[in-house]
Amino acid sequence: MTAMRVDAKVVMLGKESVGKTSLVERYVHRRFLVGPYQNTIGAAFVAKALNVGDKVVTLGIWDTAGSERYEAMSRIYYRGARAAIVCYDLTDSSSFKRARFWVKELQNCEEHCKIYLCGTKSDLIEADRSVRQVDFHDVQDFADEIGAQHFETSSKTGKNVDEVFQKVAEDFSSCALEFMQEEKGVDLGQKKDSYFDNCCHN
Amino acid sequence: MAADVHNKGVSWEIKNGNLAPSDRLRQDRSDSPTPGLVEGTEPGAGQEGAMFVHAQSFEDLTADSESNTDNKSAEVGDSNPENAQKAALEGGEEEVQEESLEAEQEEVGKEEVQSSNKAKEEDVTSETWRSHRKHVFVLSEAGKPIYTRYGTEEALSSIMGVMMLLMSFVEDKKNTIRSIHADGYRVVFLRKSPLILVGVFRTSCSDRELTRELHYVYYQIVSLLTLTQLNHVFQNRQSYDLRRLLAGSEHLTDSLLRLLDRDPGLLLSAVMCLPLASSARDVVSSSLQAAKAKNLVFSILLAGNRLVTLVRKKDQFLHHMDLHLLFNLVVSSSSFREGEGWTPICLPKFNPAGFFHAHISYLEPASDLCLILVSTDREDFFNLSDCKKRFLERLRRRSAYQSLQEALNMPSYPVSQVGIPELRHFVYKSKSSGLYTSPDLPAPYQEEEEHERLMGLYQHLHSCLHNPTRPLRYIYRCAETENLYALVTSGFELYLCFSPLGTKGLAVSAVNKLLKWIRKEEDRLFILSPLTY
Ligand SMILES: Nc1nc2c(ncn2[C@@H]2O[C@H](COP(=O)(O)OP(=O)(O)O)[C@@H](O)[C@H]2O)c(=O)[nH]1
Ligand SMILES: [Mg+2]
Repeated sequence: MTAMRVDAKVVMLGKESVGKTSLVERYVHRRFLVGPYQNTIGAAFVAKALNVGDKVVTLGIWDTAGSERYEAMSRIYYRGARAAIVCYDLTDSSSFKRARFWVKELQNCEEHCKIYLCGTKSDLIEADRSVRQVDFHDVQDFADEIGAQHFETSSKTGKNVDEVFQKVAEDFSSCALEFMQEEKGVDLGQKKDSYFDNCCHN
Repeated sequence: MAADVHNKGVSWEIKNGNLAPSDRLRQDRSDSPTPGLVEGTEPGAGQEGAMFVHAQSFEDLTADSESNTDNKSAEVGDSNPENAQKAALEGGEEEVQEESLEAEQEEVGKEEVQSSNKAKEEDVTSETWRSHRKHVFVLSEAGKPIYTRYGTEEALSSIMGVMMLLMSFVEDKKNTIRSIHADGYRVVFLRKSPLILVGVFRTSCSDRELTRELHYVYYQIVSLLTLTQLNHVFQNRQSYDLRRLLAGSEHLTDSLLRLLDRDPGLLLSAVMCLPLASSARDVVSSSLQAAKAKNLVFSILLAGNRLVTLVRKKDQFLHHMDLHLLFNLVVSSSSFREGEGWTPICLPKFNPAGFFHAHISYLEPASDLCLILVSTDREDFFNLSDCKKRFLERLRRRSAYQSLQEALNMPSYPVSQVGIPELRHFVYKSKSSGLYTSPDLPAPYQEEEEHERLMGLYQHLHSCLHNPTRPLRYIYRCAETENLYALVTSGFELYLCFSPLGTKGLAVSAVNKLLKWIRKEEDRLFILSPLTY
């Protein structure tokens, strides 16, 4: 059997416990797990195929831990990514600050990576408007400024979740046409020769 | 800020080639087992040599294997020849303890307990907090709290400050504080620069046993960060709050402490195998052996906390402790059930200075079979993912998957299979293979509390056998609800638990019978022919 065929690498970024894993869980397995919070160890990979028009696009989704411990290694997770879903928790303003950090990081290191800002846990806002700590229009302004897409999702209810990934896949496949002449797509199985890649932290 | 942690010059990666001691020569296998067996011929001894770094017992565990990291302050007292002074000091220490306890009470009363979203939040001034049997605290050398098993670190910063003071007070006098015994409690100190670990235990265990547990906690932390990084952050800033880097890993340490109370493997420095027909195990092992990759160092298949097989790179040995840390990582995280995990991990007994990269995934989402592939290359994810696929394909083609799944669904084995009257439970460790076997826990010990009590009894026997000044070959002990017998030879270690109706004569004669039974079943209970690639 050959290496997994993945068309586009997608990376989930954002502060711990903003709901990255839940977003992937909802999208890939159509479920929302309750129970004590378990932070992701290192990173988790899952491949998911979806239809865009009459074509099938396989997204290789990297769910990262978001903890400082792995920050030095985070580059291996987002290098070569075609899309980054940068998550922040709508009820936690500090998580949006962290999202800005990731955006900067991506702008510096991965210029071909499209950014999708994703405000999570919108069900909490719907239940009680006063818990919102991140203003929709502020984020929209920021998104326009950096040329990013902007979503508010709930992994609990599933609201807007499919839309995020569908948009990622659509953008990829329309973009892939342009790219075709230049490169043959991203070969994720390919091994880099250098042990230490130049990392943004350096 | 993270940038001062992840400095450029520091290399955390392990390159191939620098490793652990190689295996000893093998003796011939003896046909009939007798209690005087020599190592390498006892039931369960592997045919091709050990899979693990040779580990006698916890002597190995507590000894510092990190000769490459100069640990300046850690052994201050150990080299101190003035033992008499130390002994004198020990007598005096109890008073110090009493004073400090008072001080601690006052301060805790004053301090406001910060609310945090930690699940283990617990009022540290409460009686329940005090009544826990085992408290473990980790702090930095600057006295900053890093971990507490119960309650929150914030609420305990003054207690930790007192511990720090106590330690440096004794060290100022060119000595080392090891433990304080007072009022049914043992307070055990372990300095592993740049960390300080303190255990407060309500138990009759020896200080050595307790120190061993603190070592485990220390290595757990190192496995997340590497010693290089740990030293690095504190060199840059003494007052660094390590919790930032450990965030989200507290449950690993919690879970490790639970394992220490329950899993005899951590006590015996040994690993238990999933009982499996040797033909089936061989297929699994060879399939794993065939699914190799250039930078792959260890391929480990686990069934819960039992080992199905382990294939390693030639000349590279895993330390059982590193394997226990991997077990712990897997059993305490549900996140590997979703997709494939890829995480840096340091195996501190192998090399505390660098990270390996582990591909961790379950063979099926609902299965208990978890595959860990350990590579030296951080870019290896897709290579290893491919190894897993090849492994699964081979398994399926040889229809081994089914028998594996069936073995999984069965309990280990009931002690009645051995056919020794009054025998309730036993733990047998083959020293040369570093593997142990043990039947299912029978009824009275299935309750959590009883389970831990039995482990406590074994632990006590263990500390008697391995008493550093007066080691014993065997020990027989009548307790209220059971009789216990333990013995150690150069080849094996054995702990037996009998009903109170058992006699010493019965216990002694049971040993031979049990060894014969284990010899007969060894293909199934042990991994006799470990493979390499
Ligand atoms: N109410 C609500 N809670 C959520 C949602 N998404 C995640 N959570 C909770 O937030 C916590 C962190 O989620 P997780 O996905 O593990 O965060 P991660 O660290 O970013 O991967 C968990 O307790 C989830 O149950 C959501 O959409 N709504
Ligand atoms: Mg997560």
